[in-house]
Amino acid sequence: MRFCLLLTPRGRSRTFRSMPIYAESLTSAHRLFLTDHFPGDGCLLSQEGMAAFSADASQERAMPWAVVRPENRGQIEELLKWADSERMPIYGRARGTGRVGNAVPTHGGVVVSMLGMNRILDVDENDFVAVVQPGVVTGDLQAACIDRKMMYPPDPASVKYSTLGGNVSTCAGGLKAVKYGVTRDWVMGLESVLPGGKVLRTGGRSHKNVVGLDLTRLFVGSNGKLGLVTEIIVKLIPLPETSASVLVGFSDLRSSMDGARAVFRSGVLPAACEFMDKVTIQAVRQVGDVPLAANAQAALLFMVDGSEAGVEAEVRQLVTALNESSPVSVEIGRGKDEEKIWAVRRTISPAAFRIRPNKFAEDISVPRGTVAEAVERAHQIGEECGLIVLCFGHLGDGNIHVNIMHDASVPDEVVRACRAKDAVFRLAIELGGTISGEHGTGLTKASFVSEQLSQEEIGLMTSIKQVFDPNSIMNPGKGW
Amino acid sequence: MSGDCILCGKCLEVCPLLRATGREELGPRAKADLCFLLGDDETLLSGEDVAKLAGLCLGCHRCKAVCSQGVDVPGLVAALRLAHPDFKGWLWKTWLTHARELWSSTSLAAKLIPKNFQSEKFGPFLKMLAGLKGGPGLEPFLIPEIFPDTYRGERMLLFAGCTANYVQGRWLVTALRLLDGLGIEVLPGDFKCCGGGLSSAGFDVESEAMACKNIDVWRKAGKPKMVLFCASCLSSLGGYENYFEDSEEFISWQRSLMPLSALLREATFVVSEKASGKVAYHRPCHVDKADSDYMFLHNALGNRLIVSTSRECCGFGGVMRLGTPALADAVNRDCWEKLGTPDVVLTGCSACAAQLAATAPNEVRVGHWLEIIA
Repeated sequence: MRFCLLLTPRGRSRTFRSMPIYAESLTSAHRLFLTDHFPGDGCLLSQEGMAAFSADASQERAMPWAVVRPENRGQIEELLKWADSERMPIYGRARGTGRVGNAVPTHGGVVVSMLGMNRILDVDENDFVAVVQPGVVTGDLQAACIDRKMMYPPDPASVKYSTLGGNVSTCAGGLKAVKYGVTRDWVMGLESVLPGGKVLRTGGRSHKNVVGLDLTRLFVGSNGKLGLVTEIIVKLIPLPETSASVLVGFSDLRSSMDGARAVFRSGVLPAACEFMDKVTIQAVRQVGDVPLAANAQAALLFMVDGSEAGVEAEVRQLVTALNESSPVSVEIGRGKDEEKIWAVRRTISPAAFRIRPNKFAEDISVPRGTVAEAVERAHQIGEECGLIVLCFGHLGDGNIHVNIMHDASVPDEVVRACRAKDAVFRLAIELGGTISGEHGTGLTKASFVSEQLSQEEIGLMTSIKQVFDPNSIMNPGKGW
Repeated sequence: MSGDCILCGKCLEVCPLLRATGREELGPRAKADLCFLLGDDETLLSGEDVAKLAGLCLGCHRCKAVCSQGVDVPGLVAALRLAHPDFKGWLWKTWLTHARELWSSTSLAAKLIPKNFQSEKFGPFLKMLAGLKGGPGLEPFLIPEIFPDTYRGERMLLFAGCTANYVQGRWLVTALRLLDGLGIEVLPGDFKCCGGGLSSAGFDVESEAMACKNIDVWRKAGKPKMVLFCASCLSSLGGYENYFEDSEEFISWQRSLMPLSALLREATFVVSEKASGKVAYHRPCHVDKADSDYMFLHNALGNRLIVSTSRECCGFGGVMRLGTPALADAVNRDCWEKLGTPDVVLTGCSACAAQLAATAPNEVRVGHWLEIIA
């Protein structure tokens, strides 16, 4: 069985302080309400139909009692008014591509699929904003912006198949976060429906706004625990004229870190700055040709963007800065050749499965200066547990994807992989970092939250949630 | 196979059915997961309902192409159809009941509906749906000017496919003229249907028999190159892997498959004065990455080619169209939204040509690209 059907994190126990009282099942009156308000295909009640909504990319699973598909805000207002009075757990869901189980309906209740609300309402060349519904695929918005010579920069790996609603809910990051930030930095306004059915509008189309507390930013990354977002206003910028990418090989990890440091010190702020350790390089070499020197034991992957002249100058500056760290190979890609370089990065995930059939893909983030130590110690943890550990990711943000490879059909390997995962999380906290830079905590990291956040922080967050959701019906059972 | 799905969701990017309906349970990930759940615990879900739900698949194979784990959702769906005890009976009953309602009574396909179920004829019928008529077709406006000598003197087989053989005779005639211009001698070959439609419908025995017969024709002809002009046939023949004795012969088979448009790469054409104005191209789901049909049209038509679909499916959908035409129609509407209203829509797949012709706005004409060759 590949799924944790009981949603207690592996090998751990969780306790809830004053567990809220929820509806215990769907009564016939509940069913009547849902089928009345979401007629036809708008409401799913069969096990077969609902199975798709029971899991997400974390592979954790729990069956909901019903799935509804609103097509407008009015339906959501009615739903949340009803759900609050019935103490019915509510789980907002877009395409279920999250990695930590945030979309999994752990306490039964109703999954709200937002895919029917998928219109791009406005892409404004004067205000430089776009207004979208939550079910819009992020890549589709980006394409609509490019048509008008504008850019929406956040680009999580799932950009072509995840949605703005999901990205807002999880505060998705991506390759270009080092220069452009994460989803939170681009959301200017939200329309949301709160438990009880009240509509809340925060922020707007103005690029600056310092009046009051920033409730918009509070909502971004709240994982559907405060309300359901129904409309999103995002900031746009002019589309950069061009870009260039550089793949650099180094003889060891420390040299690669020196190289990255030299690039930033030289004054270049790359749009992306990725790294790969030696195990990752070995893995991608098994899948295809990699434009890296044979003796490369670590690699950096840069992208710079801007005007044609600016990009030319930045590439020169970057390569000169890298020379101080004696790279073993430098491959510059422009136009179609740029794609070849990024294909290497995209191959990592499937290539990893050539090593072992399963992986824990953790996304710790540490201060940038401690990345080398974090990677070396992650390898050490792997050795101690008798497992292969791949490290790659967004060096520019100190966000390391630590992949703990194992075979889930071998019970002993699973135990060792869980031990390695615990050790990696503790390492991140010890280095002053975080257990998650991008994926969130959801189910799979819920039990570690209290090791990172203080009691005061958790207490404040709980109080804030109670203001929005006094009966705690929104996405219950998840870590912050 | 379904157990290999890691639920990453990458397939959600390419599924035309999910895009058109917004119903996550119809996406490929949901189908792979359902099959897994059914295999893992048969008491959890009703097998029959799973088969019904998972059977809602257009069979476009786009999800298989992007899956890092090699999960073949259309293959899983075909297996479910095969395993469903009443599927054949249901399929034929539905065909007889609805075919005349679904497709124009004037179409050749409707006239060819047999009185009794004959599975070996079902494949060809799948390709003749949607009101396909053997009528006058498009007005030719692309005139061959110079044929290269690259293939002159070579002997090749021509796999014309059911549509050209039974309905669209002019496609076959034009293909033969082009091959003649290229100096290629066409060897005789009594091919069967490619079997693609039958395979995805779950008729494994029948489709295997067709595949073996086709391979036999190729072997007996001395394993020459085989020319095709239907993207679905090409894709289907390219997937005959299980029917060869060794991988070496299969590789040789794959290398022998030549899209007609690829042979015309070095030929030159001129556009006649009576040419249609704006031309759109529909990229079939089953076309390979190189898409030599598009390259050919792009080179030959230049600026006249104003739009090309990339991720949209025509909504033909094989057996899914029989059971749930409304869902297939939603996919078709997405496709027309992208195509807009050009004067002519060209494609390189017989099923796409049929489906788009039957659903085109009044002022838009649709055909295989062979129809514009003068």
